[in-house]
Amino acid sequence: MTDNVENNKTIENKISDIKVTDTRVHEKQKELESGPIGLDIGTTNIVVARNRAGAPITMKQLNAFFAIPKSKLTARILSQNDVMYFAKNGQFYIIGNSSEEFANTFNTETRRPIESGLISPREDDGMNVIQALIKSLLQPPKKQGEPVCFSIPGDPIDGNSSVLYHESIIKRALDAMGYKPISINEGFAVVLSELQGENYTGLGISMGGGMCNICLSYLSVPVFSFSIRKGGDYIDTMVGRTVGEPATLIKTIKEKDLNLLREPSNRIETSLQIYYNELINYVVHSIQQVMASSDRMPRLSKPVPIVLSGGTAVVTGVKELFEKALKTARLPIQISGVRIASDPLNTTAKGALTMAVSEEN
Amino acid sequence: MSVPIVIFSIDDTRGTLLQKVLQHNGLQSKLIKRNFELGTVLSKRVPSIVVFDTKDYYSRDFAYLRNICSTYPLATVIALAEDSNVPVLIEIGVRDDLCVREPFNPDLTLAKVKELVFIKNKAHLKVKTYLALIYHLIVGEKDNPYIVFIKKVLTVIALLLSSVVGIAGGFTIWSLSDLPKIQQLEDYSPLETSSVYSTDGKQLGEFFYVHRKTIPYYKIPPHVKDSFLAVEDARFYEHKGIDFYRIGGAFLENIRSKGYSQGASTITQQLAKMLFLKPEKNLSRKIKEAVLSLQIESRYTKDEILGIYLNQAFFGARSYGVEAAAQTYFGKKTEDLSVADAALLAALPKAPSFYSPFKNPSGCLTRRNLVLKMMLNRGYINDDKYKAALAEPLPTEMERPAYKSSYFLDYLKNHLEKQIGEKLFTSGLKIQSTMDSAMQDAAEKAIKKGIETLTRNGDKNLQAALLAVDIKTGGVRAMVGGIDYSTSVFNRVTQAMRQPGSAFKPFVYLAAFKEGYTPNDVIMDREVTYFSKEGGVPWTPQNYTHRFYGNVTLRTAISSSLNGATIYLANKIGMNKVIDAARSTGITSPIYPHLPAAIGVSELTLSELVYAYATLASGTAKRPIFYTTIKDKNDVTIETDGLGEVKVIDDGIVTFVKDVLRSVVEHGTAKAAQSIGRPVYGKTGTTDNYTDAWFVGFDDHLAVGVWVGKDDNKPLKEDSSGSAVALPIWIDFMKSVVNK
Repeated sequence: MTDNVENNKTIENKISDIKVTDTRVHEKQKELESGPIGLDIGTTNIVVARNRAGAPITMKQLNAFFAIPKSKLTARILSQNDVMYFAKNGQFYIIGNSSEEFANTFNTETRRPIESGLISPREDDGMNVIQALIKSLLQPPKKQGEPVCFSIPGDPIDGNSSVLYHESIIKRALDAMGYKPISINEGFAVVLSELQGENYTGLGISMGGGMCNICLSYLSVPVFSFSIRKGGDYIDTMVGRTVGEPATLIKTIKEKDLNLLREPSNRIETSLQIYYNELINYVVHSIQQVMASSDRMPRLSKPVPIVLSGGTAVVTGVKELFEKALKTARLPIQISGVRIASDPLNTTAKGALTMAVSEEN
Repeated sequence: MSVPIVIFSIDDTRGTLLQKVLQHNGLQSKLIKRNFELGTVLSKRVPSIVVFDTKDYYSRDFAYLRNICSTYPLATVIALAEDSNVPVLIEIGVRDDLCVREPFNPDLTLAKVKELVFIKNKAHLKVKTYLALIYHLIVGEKDNPYIVFIKKVLTVIALLLSSVVGIAGGFTIWSLSDLPKIQQLEDYSPLETSSVYSTDGKQLGEFFYVHRKTIPYYKIPPHVKDSFLAVEDARFYEHKGIDFYRIGGAFLENIRSKGYSQGASTITQQLAKMLFLKPEKNLSRKIKEAVLSLQIESRYTKDEILGIYLNQAFFGARSYGVEAAAQTYFGKKTEDLSVADAALLAALPKAPSFYSPFKNPSGCLTRRNLVLKMMLNRGYINDDKYKAALAEPLPTEMERPAYKSSYFLDYLKNHLEKQIGEKLFTSGLKIQSTMDSAMQDAAEKAIKKGIETLTRNGDKNLQAALLAVDIKTGGVRAMVGGIDYSTSVFNRVTQAMRQPGSAFKPFVYLAAFKEGYTPNDVIMDREVTYFSKEGGVPWTPQNYTHRFYGNVTLRTAISSSLNGATIYLANKIGMNKVIDAARSTGITSPIYPHLPAAIGVSELTLSELVYAYATLASGTAKRPIFYTTIKDKNDVTIETDGLGEVKVIDDGIVTFVKDVLRSVVEHGTAKAAQSIGRPVYGKTGTTDNYTDAWFVGFDDHLAVGVWVGKDDNKPLKEDSSGSAVALPIWIDFMKSVVNK
């Protein structure tokens, strides 16, 4: 608790350092195009979605950083190579996409401001990094109070963490930047992004790096939402431990050409299939458990779709594994089909954007 | 008239969900979540249907529900309830078939509501009528020959249209195969000028390759925008990127004049050309320009497009964008431009060099007045403003901001260019320097006044330099590198290597204190001849007064600047210790490893000397600090500079050094400095034949050094000692600083 208070103070100080306000902006706000924003603050990436000419466009940065000791030489090299960074406490914090290249160069791992979907308790400067990344993706608002809808995880069912601190601290940061922050459950964002044709009815599942988020929505009303603190990183770590290889290597293999439907060609693929199966079964049985215990669960006469999104759902065969796992589960609702989101890596941000647009109207 | 429906549910999710389900089926309802609200709503208007959700309802006897059933018999209640509660509800008056049992079933509830609405609305009568009508109109006319004929005609038209669309599409794809990506505009980030600020928030100077300051669209006054619209694109807010009306007009005009006399490029097209295309003239470029313009228009608002255009256009004299042009031609900000100024700027982009007011005033005046005329014709200005603007003269010379601190900026630029490269000139950085503009003013005034006095007394070709640094942070607070930057950019603070004379002596005494001496210890001041081991010429140092004083304390020796006693002391402790002491304070220039170096024959810079004195004053190591932070254009800090606390002289020795340097002011060669009225410490310096005159000292906050001499190393006038020439400037500056 004390840690939280201290973190709050640090973050407040930081916010006051980098806050930009221009009162004249307000006078002219009517002349400006002001646009709602969707923001997905994930364990792996931060994605921003905005509307341009009626269609959403997205921008992203890796949600990671890499600290190196400060020196004049380094500053020169970083500046000349357009590397995104900021200086603090005698260190340069290289942030975003650049950090991974640095980590690879130094043959080590990047550090993450978000751990298992929530602000990492191990990184004192995590929130500063997130803020700097958001600043790099978002210009200051053209008028005070532009809506920004950001994604938050559901309460985890397999841990005692609360999302309250995570949500509040991001809200404060966005508020300090001049936005009107609105939070949206990550699974619900998937529904808003993908299930317009089904009147926003169905199960939205975001399978990210740190966690999986699940939300059942009925006619755009979130009936229940929750998260489990396992995701792509869990698969990488477990496979890495099993075969004795670094998790980053496993991640690379996984993202390159893994196909869960074909016969595994080596130990790593075998292991990946096993842990993918385990994760998917875990998700499906968590859904079964929550539905069985929820007193809000409505009896639905029509079958509802399931949409999978997020980086962990991109791998070939996830859909089929999910369908297989569903056959073994006894859900109180009928499932009309499983599908992968049209743009899985940007689904949450786009859903958040839909929410932000509706808030503005 | 719709049937009023009320949903009562304490559970937010179930209530909202029910409301949504009804809404989705075209039934509006009011959701109530609290008992007291229900009472209020019912008292205003009795609903026809009440959906009462008993889940989590606190009262097991359902008093409110009982009240509804008895008070409003025309309202029909649908109750959502556990099976076990249904008997109680029936007893209250809810119909059995209207009790929807758990689990929660929104679809069944909807069906019950629809049934009730259907009955209450008598809608079935209307539905039958509508069904019959649709049947006769569509199904019944299936074989009508007229409809068959119309269908055939429509099919032929559709085929023709698709052929035309196909051909046009193919041609477009072929033409635009190498079209630049419009998405590049998302990252629109033009080269921008970087600015340096003083500690009191004033802009000290700018670094740039091309002079550009982007300005948000909303800060550009309407008359400035109007002037550009008048001359470049009057129908800007009406067209969609291409002005077909104007193209037609220009076409006819060009036929009439039998040549290319009138263009029809819109501002959007000009922007597309500026940002994405080469300046070639052919049909392919025109097609690309048109398509890019349409893309830009579909992606950006008109205001954004005009904003980017005004920030991108070239106005001549290395100035890009309206803000830089306003500064270059008028020395103003865009928001302060007059109508005539705006018209002149709008006149320039067509041919910046040809219409320059400095190169071709008459051509410029004609075009500016043409712009004004067009503004009048389009109704942007009235007749009075038009006449007043016509009377305004053209600017006659380029406005260059008169920045002071040129030597400081020069040094900062060289330093940062090595550190961050060309970003310094292109990225719109905000550099927070350590310079205090009030102190800089005081320093420049003190140097000017001092040199004027000396020149009046008959000395010529004088130069002088002053450096003030913050003892705590090492920050440069004021720097004057010479008497006039415009005639000599040589920085006498950082570049001039000069003999310090007696101003070097404190390092001899520092070495002595480190060896255990105290200010009250006695040394000999007498005539001694020193023989060098290498067999050089024997040397007998003399005092300034050409007499010797016998036994003197260390304090007296330095306050009276006695060469004999100082060299005696240096000889006794060894020159290597003196050199080590000087090095520990940050002196880096080579020091002659023989006795004459003890009275300052080894050359060094004023900067070295002042920083060494700052180290003497605090006991901690110092180096020049020119800036504290550098922020990028998004205000994110990318660089900071500052000192750590590294102790190099013990506090006891610092006290001794300050004791003896204070005695210079109280009893010695710098008595005049007592007029400052606060404790100051320092040392004068004068070299042979009065070639260099110095005073370097400090108070509790600042270390300040002043040098006076000539660039060609010729002597100053007779008797121009440090105390006579440099000290008055030092005193003048220190007084201004305290009086500030």
